[in-house]
Amino acid sequence: MPWSHEDRMTIIHNRSLDDIAETGPTLGGNAVTRAFSGGSIGRLIGMLALIAILGFLTIYPLAMLLYGSLHSTPPGLAGEFNLNGYRAIMTTQNFLVLINTVGISLAKTVPSLTIAVFLAWIIARTDTPFRGTLEVLITLPFFIPPILTAMAWGMLGNPQVGVINLVWRSISGSTDPLVNVYSYGGVVWHMCQYSIPFLFLFTVDAFRTMDPSLEESSRMCGASRWTTFRKITLLLMLPVLTSSFMLSFIRGIESFESPLFFGLPAGIKVITTDIYESINHRATPDYQYATSLSFAIMGLMFLLVIWQWALLRGKSFQTVTGKGFRPNVMELGPWRWVTFGFCVLFFIITVVLPVGQLLLGSFFRFFGFYTYEMLTLEHYRAVFSNSEFWRAVRNTMMLGLLGATATMALGAVVAYVSVRTRWRGRSLIDGMAWLPWMMPGMVLGVGFLWAFAMLPGPIPIYGTVWALLLAYLALGTPVAVRVMTGAYHQLSYDLEECSRVHGASWFQTMWRIMVALAWPAFAVGWVLTFFGIMRELSASILLYSVGSETLAVVLLKLWANGNAEQVSVIGLMMMLLVILFRWVQLRFIKARISKL
Amino acid sequence: MASVTLENVTRMYGAVTAVDQVNLRVKSGEFVTLLGPSGCGKTTTLRMVAGLEKNTGGRISIGDNVVSDADKGYFVPSERRRLGMVFQSYAIWPHMTVFDNVAYPLRIRRRTDKEIQDRVMNALRLVEMEQYAERPSPALSGGQQQRVAIARALVFEPEVLLLDEPLSNLDARLRTQMGDEFRQLQQRLKITTLYVTHDQSEAMALSDRVVVMHGGKILQVGAPEDIYRRPESRQVAAFFGTPNLLQAKVRNCRPNGGQYYKLDVEGRGWSGECHAAIEIPAGADVTVMVRPENLQLGEAGAANGGLSWAGEISQAIFRGPHRSVMVKTADQTLHIETPSLADVGIGRAVTVAAPSDAAWAVRS
Repeated sequence: MPWSHEDRMTIIHNRSLDDIAETGPTLGGNAVTRAFSGGSIGRLIGMLALIAILGFLTIYPLAMLLYGSLHSTPPGLAGEFNLNGYRAIMTTQNFLVLINTVGISLAKTVPSLTIAVFLAWIIARTDTPFRGTLEVLITLPFFIPPILTAMAWGMLGNPQVGVINLVWRSISGSTDPLVNVYSYGGVVWHMCQYSIPFLFLFTVDAFRTMDPSLEESSRMCGASRWTTFRKITLLLMLPVLTSSFMLSFIRGIESFESPLFFGLPAGIKVITTDIYESINHRATPDYQYATSLSFAIMGLMFLLVIWQWALLRGKSFQTVTGKGFRPNVMELGPWRWVTFGFCVLFFIITVVLPVGQLLLGSFFRFFGFYTYEMLTLEHYRAVFSNSEFWRAVRNTMMLGLLGATATMALGAVVAYVSVRTRWRGRSLIDGMAWLPWMMPGMVLGVGFLWAFAMLPGPIPIYGTVWALLLAYLALGTPVAVRVMTGAYHQLSYDLEECSRVHGASWFQTMWRIMVALAWPAFAVGWVLTFFGIMRELSASILLYSVGSETLAVVLLKLWANGNAEQVSVIGLMMMLLVILFRWVQLRFIKARISKL
Repeated sequence: MASVTLENVTRMYGAVTAVDQVNLRVKSGEFVTLLGPSGCGKTTTLRMVAGLEKNTGGRISIGDNVVSDADKGYFVPSERRRLGMVFQSYAIWPHMTVFDNVAYPLRIRRRTDKEIQDRVMNALRLVEMEQYAERPSPALSGGQQQRVAIARALVFEPEVLLLDEPLSNLDARLRTQMGDEFRQLQQRLKITTLYVTHDQSEAMALSDRVVVMHGGKILQVGAPEDIYRRPESRQVAAFFGTPNLLQAKVRNCRPNGGQYYKLDVEGRGWSGECHAAIEIPAGADVTVMVRPENLQLGEAGAANGGLSWAGEISQAIFRGPHRSVMVKTADQTLHIETPSLADVGIGRAVTVAAPSDAAWAVRS
């Protein structure tokens, strides 16, 4: 069978250009429009409700951010309006912070992209053995909460008692540490571990779905493999690479865990940690400063997003089609074991080492003192008998289950309205749902701090678990919308219309056709959102209060108290959860759909 | 089975008129094809009958029931029109088996399991797919998907069957085969069928009547042979194949004894007899259409009734079943199809002749 399964499953109906001319203006699920044509009141109410929900989740905190940045006192207190906040952030020191932020993000994006493209090429285009398994292993770090690996690397690379340095000293006899993670290098190193699998996920499908005839024709024109790779393959992938680069760069600027764990102890500040410090680590929290800084970083993000948009505009992705091509697979000969080894090495460094460290740390009385007498189970006992831990587990699970479901439901509705209807106001909804995309969790957290505090008295969200839920909802919505938009785009309108013509009502069609076909994407998005909530730290750390801590917050508090051993125990529990969910996702959901 | 009636049906997209005042009556049990180039409004017309598109003007009836009347704001949604439809992409739901796909219209109508089982298997037998019932539908080839789509459209015995270019995604050989099979099935079931295509040969082979559309308007409605041999306008004439269209002046016009008229025409450097549907006064300009397969090559100087031209062979292309020959005459180059056995010499002086009933004149 020369073509793949997806190829024959022509869900995507490639309407030819002329057909678009003929039916174009109604593309947009007129089936839906019609269903509501009798009840435009119902549609109006639905749209207004959607706008209200999204407005509360995105516009309101954004507006409050602006309000707070001009307001002299903390949320909820009477004060005056002035520009002190903006004056305070305009310092030479903050300029250095900005340079740091951008520099670190650049320093991690460039090597990450290089390695990610190399890995994607290995997996998609070479005959490296066990590629299927390797792909699962390479992408695993993306799903591990960064706080776990940050703590694990904090123990591994600690200049005094880190395992790497202990081993190094015993081998070389030197007294100097080999590595010190509390440095610029440490921050970049930790960020890379997330960027690489993230970028890999982004680029591997582009490699996979490229029409091989484009490369073959280059070979026929006399170009060597290497020239073809440089002049054809890479250039065809340029749009994908550019957008991956920008995305990774933006995420680098938003990053919180890496600079928090490895930057702050070494005195390296970035914008996110500066916001965090000004609220949490000063004698009197300086809200106006933090809010002004948040608003400023939003502006930076906005510029970056505009730049990204301008870069990608007019770049055609058409060469990279969705058809199930069989890509050219390069036969590497003995070199395939080298590429295999490279992938394994990546997995060992990003997963095995940190998890091993957590395992090691959890069984010894003090981390760094790994002798037989120090073996103990007391940390497990301590954690399991700690009611605060169990409360955090309950909170996290509750927030995860509820938050992922609510986020995906909202995303599914928003995507449906913006992709498959022609309702008025759908682009407004789409735009609002996309806004949090350029708000780092830290910034959104500050915005919601103000937003909740400014709510009228009878709505006591501030300081409850619901505050976290709403923040997660806002943070997760852009991704949820993207996932569902992709899913809907794959379903031709014919599938919907065919059901209507054959007697099904709008609701029957929704249930039997759209939901039935889109649920795998929904499930994939659900798991992604769940992971997102489980790892979320930057907004949680601002919005939690006693009683509503999540696991990530508890971990950070324990770490700050120097309790690395219990941190290891909890980290291992979270790791188990991650692996369990990832396994379920791959085993049950991936079997149903071809992508993700 | 029901008839389909379109009265002054119009569809506007803003200021653009996609379908303009279309009037058409498809009789019960009839197979009618909407034929036209891309963007002519044929698919929009079909979708308005299906209820997937709302007509902005006019009235559509299925049987005795009005299903859409733009002036009264009356509109019956697709699902209550009792139609069967085959989409260009087949729209086979990928999450269902073949059986489930075909059973869908019956399940929606809450039929008993027994009835569903019987009727689905009957429908699948009709399209010779009964052994594939439990296949997941993505595991089907294009031709098989098309059969399933037809079975699904027929399973609940719809009033009318609508088909939107159902053969266009198949390869040439399969296209002919599926077309013939489908025509036989339609004649056996006597189901009213409205069919959309841009393929002329498909339209002629399948239909009782062909509706030629262009720019949202109907140009001509008629039996395939009428449309092919006796087009009403130059546009319709030019739509089928690559006919020779020759400018001429009418010398004389008289009834031919049947329902048509016989004309004496004169062009630049040639003259002869041809036919027309209407009386055309002497002196009027006409376009004379002669199809390449009706032209004959003869030795120079030989001439009989009908039309003839003197010229010289400028080009000959072997196409397998026939040979395309270009003959350069004083006025223009004529395109002729001859049997491929006969060899022709480039540069040879010849006479090209056509019998008068193979030449058809329309007003220019």
